[in-house]
Amino acid sequence: MRVTLVFALALFAAGCARREPVLPVAAASPPATNGANLYAQHCLSCHMADGGGVPNLQPSLIDSLLAPGDPGALLALILRGSAGQPAPNPEYQNVMPGFGFLSDAEIAALATHLRKNFGHAAPPVSPADVAAARAQPPSG
Amino acid sequence: MLPRFSQLLVALALLASPVAFAKPPSPDADNGGLTLPPGFRAFVVADDLGSLRQMAIAPNGDIYLKTLRGGIIGLRDADGDGRAETKVAFGSGGGTGIALRGDWLYHSTNDAVFRYRLTPGQLAPGGEHERIVRNLPSERSHAAKTIAFDGEGRLLVEVGTPTNALGNPDRAPGAKGLDYTGHLEKYGGFWRFDPDRPDQTQAEGTRFSTGHRHILTIAWNDVAGDFFTVMQGRDQLDVVAPQLYTSADNAELPGEEFHVLRKNSDLGWPSTYWDPQQKKRVFAPEYGGDRKKTPPPGRFQDPIFSFPAHWSPMQMAFYRGTQFPEKYRGGAFIAFHGSWNRAPLPQKGYQVAFVPFDPAGSPLGTWETFADNFAGTTVIASPRDARFRPNGLAVGPDGSLYVADSLKGRVWRIIYTGESASAKAN
Repeated sequence: MRVTLVFALALFAAGCARREPVLPVAAASPPATNGANLYAQHCLSCHMADGGGVPNLQPSLIDSLLAPGDPGALLALILRGSAGQPAPNPEYQNVMPGFGFLSDAEIAALATHLRKNFGHAAPPVSPADVAAARAQPPSG
Repeated sequence: MLPRFSQLLVALALLASPVAFAKPPSPDADNGGLTLPPGFRAFVVADDLGSLRQMAIAPNGDIYLKTLRGGIIGLRDADGDGRAETKVAFGSGGGTGIALRGDWLYHSTNDAVFRYRLTPGQLAPGGEHERIVRNLPSERSHAAKTIAFDGEGRLLVEVGTPTNALGNPDRAPGAKGLDYTGHLEKYGGFWRFDPDRPDQTQAEGTRFSTGHRHILTIAWNDVAGDFFTVMQGRDQLDVVAPQLYTSADNAELPGEEFHVLRKNSDLGWPSTYWDPQQKKRVFAPEYGGDRKKTPPPGRFQDPIFSFPAHWSPMQMAFYRGTQFPEKYRGGAFIAFHGSWNRAPLPQKGYQVAFVPFDPAGSPLGTWETFADNFAGTTVIASPRDARFRPNGLAVGPDGSLYVADSLKGRVWRIIYTGESASAKAN
């Protein structure tokens, strides 16, 4: 019954202003809604390129039950960060900030990327799902 | 008559000691997986002990290791072959810090400091531990409490900040630094306590140093009469200020600062960091920094030198033995856990470094890699790719250097033989 909380995905900052591209980004779709780009910009720093996380600091997305699970719980974590969670997993020491500053479309693309990669094959998340999650009162 | 009496004394001394120093143990053919300077060899003392944190070694060679989430492990090499045959486990509660002072074994959980009284000749303490400091702040991040004793035996305990750079929101793009004066009254410093008085609170201690983010690595240098330390520097400059830093910049900034630590030393966290490329202390982006702006001269203490960014120093010991060659005597060995915050560039620093000191107890201002290949791979894409990560480090009574791993729980002993492992074995 132990649930590995994914705290999250990441941190990071808008990579569009970078002077030199150091991230292996997938080039196809427009950056704002490309899940792989968003992952590289905001999540990879802590959760690593392979999603494996860092022992004791940031959880693995590969082992995560939250990423492919209930979209509401995943979106609450992305929007409000791990500090906004009712019961953060004490196994991981670093706190994930919220990513509510991203648009509904960006968060939907990012969440969908998490649900379809790192060994997962869960249904996608829509911008409407994100808007609904934003409207929920914080659970923490 | 006298010679025979001396022989008897030697025999008695050998019997009383669990470690026979006379015959050097034979190293592992592959040095336990490590790479070492010419003339050094290594072997595995114990393996698969779990996630090991800091280490202390008693004058008789007994080894004590803190485990991250369990108790303390005691190891003894009863037959003198260098490998530990006797293992005891005691206590609980996890934690990081461990240090010996006379017959007392001090250790820390994330919110308190305790001590056990050791009985001469016995590996495990006979009774329960006594609490010396209680109710220390413990908020998940940087909650580990390193402990050390100064030349007068006074106890120092570090309280790190639970944040990265006291940003609002911390670690987030555009984070603004909060007022740190109040924060530093409780976090980001060493506090000094009476080592013998039970149940002290933080308020009953004296703040010794301030303005540091988190420190696990500290050792008293009895020649200099000073503490030396390496700070765990901040993360994620590129995340907080992408307009100023690329992830490649962040991979090399800031330096892990090596300092002499004295009463009232202020190391400049959270408003500044050390830029090793410019060799300057500059303001952090959370506090209006633009990579150039510097604080007034003398406002904060500059490091003596710095290690590469994000290497994460875990434990340090001065070398007072005579087994190793001259250049190592009086210098410092430091275990680095290795980075995570260089992604997407490869991770680095999974090693033990050596810092030479002059005979007067001053660092020469340089450092070198001593033991390496803990990770077992040359390109470390993620910390999960590492086979081992150095964490605990201590010098044994015969001058051997011991290193403990935080991933699987291997303990190595490094010895000087004058010979290197054969190319075949490597």
